[in-house]
Amino acid sequence: MKIRLGYFVLFILLAFVSLPLLSLFLADNSLGSAYRDTTPLNIWQDAYLRGVILFSLKQAALSTLLSVSLGLLLAWSFAHFGDFPFRTLILGLFGLPLVVPAIVAVLGIVSVYGAQGWLPLGSKLYGLTGILLAHLFFNLPLSVRLLLPIWNHIPDQHWRISVQLGMSRKEQWTFIEWPAIRESLPGISLLIFMLCLTSFAVVLTLGGGPRSTTLEVAIYQSLRFDFDPTQAVILALIQLALSVLLALIAARFSHLPDIDPDLNIHADTRHLSAHWSHALFIFLGVVFIATPLLAMLIDALKGPLGEVLGDANLWRAMGFSILIGLSAAFISISLGWFLLSASAELAYQKKTRMAQLLELSGSVIYVVPPLVIGTGLFILLSKHINVFDWAIAIVILINGLMGLPFVIRTLGPALRQHTQKYQRLCANLNIHGWQRFIKIDLPLLRKPLGLSAALVTAMAMGDLGVIALFGTPQTSTLSLLLYHRLSAYQMPQAAITALILLLSCLLAFWLLERFIGGKSNAGG
Amino acid sequence: MPFSFFKSTPPHLFTVLLGYASPCGSAKAAVSPAARLNRPTGSRRFAPTLSRYRSAGLFSMLLFVMFGLAATANADEKPVLSVYTYDSFTSKWGPGPKVKEAFEKECHCTLNYVALEDGVSLLSRLKLEGENSKADVVLGLDTNLTAEAKATGLFAPHGIEEKPSALPNKWSDEIFLPYDFGYFAFVYDKNRLKNPPKSMQELVENKSGPKILIQDPRTSTPGLGLMLWVKKIYGDKATDAWKNLLPRIVTVSKGWSEAYGLFLKGEAPMVLSYTTSPAYHIIAEKKDNYTAAKFEEGHYQQVEVAAMLANAKQPELAEDFLRFMQSEAFQSIIPESNWMYPAYLPKEKLPEAYQTLIDPSPALLFTEEDVAKNRKTWTREWLKAMAN
Repeated sequence: MKIRLGYFVLFILLAFVSLPLLSLFLADNSLGSAYRDTTPLNIWQDAYLRGVILFSLKQAALSTLLSVSLGLLLAWSFAHFGDFPFRTLILGLFGLPLVVPAIVAVLGIVSVYGAQGWLPLGSKLYGLTGILLAHLFFNLPLSVRLLLPIWNHIPDQHWRISVQLGMSRKEQWTFIEWPAIRESLPGISLLIFMLCLTSFAVVLTLGGGPRSTTLEVAIYQSLRFDFDPTQAVILALIQLALSVLLALIAARFSHLPDIDPDLNIHADTRHLSAHWSHALFIFLGVVFIATPLLAMLIDALKGPLGEVLGDANLWRAMGFSILIGLSAAFISISLGWFLLSASAELAYQKKTRMAQLLELSGSVIYVVPPLVIGTGLFILLSKHINVFDWAIAIVILINGLMGLPFVIRTLGPALRQHTQKYQRLCANLNIHGWQRFIKIDLPLLRKPLGLSAALVTAMAMGDLGVIALFGTPQTSTLSLLLYHRLSAYQMPQAAITALILLLSCLLAFWLLERFIGGKSNAGG
Repeated sequence: MPFSFFKSTPPHLFTVLLGYASPCGSAKAAVSPAARLNRPTGSRRFAPTLSRYRSAGLFSMLLFVMFGLAATANADEKPVLSVYTYDSFTSKWGPGPKVKEAFEKECHCTLNYVALEDGVSLLSRLKLEGENSKADVVLGLDTNLTAEAKATGLFAPHGIEEKPSALPNKWSDEIFLPYDFGYFAFVYDKNRLKNPPKSMQELVENKSGPKILIQDPRTSTPGLGLMLWVKKIYGDKATDAWKNLLPRIVTVSKGWSEAYGLFLKGEAPMVLSYTTSPAYHIIAEKKDNYTAAKFEEGHYQQVEVAAMLANAKQPELAEDFLRFMQSEAFQSIIPESNWMYPAYLPKEKLPEAYQTLIDPSPALLFTEEDVAKNRKTWTREWLKAMAN
């Protein structure tokens, strides 16, 4: 029964992804498009499409290069500087960008580097510079958090030997640190490259002009600006090809890096030498990450609070955001639950391959970008219904799908272990189905369940992607409202909206993790 | 559904959520298979471990969402006329609020605006919505879009007899009715810019000329107007002209309001707007330092129009609105809120400031058929020029 449910979910997932894709392939190419005669062969000859593809790759490559190299510098500084007061606090700050919605970070970047900001870059901000700054804001801390654990994995005797041999700092780097890092570098770079290639909100707000448009934003523009579904289809297919290619490359690495929550120092660091430059790098890193958030906070507190809070649109948007967040979490957790229990059951029966396949299918969204599915749905449905009426439902579904990989990662290991432990006992006592879920599974798995619910809800609440495609002033979420305020250059109002969005995401995260996950360690 | 239902065990939480996730939003959906499976046998005894207080917190959040949605769904008893238009029309300072007040006085209805960034977005949005659109009237397309709009078959003839207009050319169209017109121009601040360009050629070719703010032709009618203006003057060489201009374009905004807002904040010395825009500064702000740069080649003309939809839910109200649009009540609002020449108001009734504006002649214009045939190609040409 469990296994059948798992296959059923697999089937739903495949249908939900392949139907929109199919509609892209079969889209009516005659809809008055300027791209009537485009074939895969002459895409490259089209200056606009070529520019979009090149810019997408260029910004992703530059963002990756900057994030990884600066991240390496910072991680190196953290590792060498050893334990110092505020270390945990600073690393906690570096975890913040991982939960800040992209559109909020963009606002922070504009508050610091915009025309009226602390460090005005002028009109240069809108374009590649701004996109790189925002991507750096997200991915620099990410790469630090991915790289730092590597130092913990270097065996202590390596350091001891290096000291015995009287190695200089440079020699330590060449013979001990670099070989350890080199192995993880391709995986980390690829992950960041993928994140930057599919980043939508950042490019939409800070780029988006004809000179700085990525594939995802171009898809959005061809639907919403040009009403040129054919062009959207071509772009979506290019995006799909790129993502599939990257996924294939990623599959060659045995595992993509996982964020290690444990960033404490385990290695014996007495042998590592601290230098004043390490402190400087750490200080600069902290300033870079903290200023956007600080600027946003100050702008928000100085802004017209009454005017923004008195706006009924804000509260309606908040209602929609909460609705989308909770519903998306419900969808990803139930889909994830069925997939994972089937997978665990299969693994228990030693059918490893099928078990892996089921688990892998949860990450399908990494191969098919949300905006591509959104475009497909748009074209599939727009002939039959007014897609704008169904905006919220569609956004919930796609956000639910986007949350699935996170559910699989947080819930998967716990559930597998749990099945190994209790499968036989439950079979003996004849506890199964709903009763087993309530009596056995739920109490023991509360913690990972709460965490995944919190994660998916917060992510879906802050997401600006598919909602931009389907949203209207009547069905706006907080993130879309913030985008509209930003693009109308209403900075004070935007700062307040951003603060409210950020606070509601954090609050939702905290509430769900506590209320579903419980205070104590309930197991799992 | 009694509140106690919400207060039971978490699985209900999920089923309740599912109810709201379903697009129909009916309470019926809450009875999902999961709910039917949830027999009280096991769940009740288990309930205490998942504290009720905690669930109650979540449920109150849910209730908040539910009531929020219910409140927005609350229908007015009066019939509602839905008008799609651009956002500067509906802004606090635009004609929208005054038009709404005046029309509602005589129609016994509620006039609802749906505001988009700018005129071209209106057409895209209508095409996306197709026959399922909620619009009764669309206000804010211009003559560059009318042929393309007619070809969609989404619009209905207005059935209103022809009326002498103040337009430079005689108006005769069975679907679209004009409400105002104007001429595109670059507006600048005399105190900041001493030597404005005297022609399009000077603007394009003088590499040390002033920086400008323009709008995107894919969303905005002024943006589209500028693209056609350049096309009219440069023809096949338009791409080169755009490439020349490119380094001096500060930003390409989605709508007119954003670009003009940035201009007033001082982000660039010149902005694409209308020859009539300085009237705003003269009348509303008592400032005469803003003026439009007169170009030797002439200025591109824009006639803004409205029409009713074939699938309008309120066809009579829509027709009433179009009639009202031609009346003096509506027309006299235009010059001092939309800052354009009203289509049906004689010149003598214009405010005094309008006499001081530059003379835009010769007026440049493509036929609506020419634009309909070439808009996509020319837009793509523009995109390519701007992408390099």
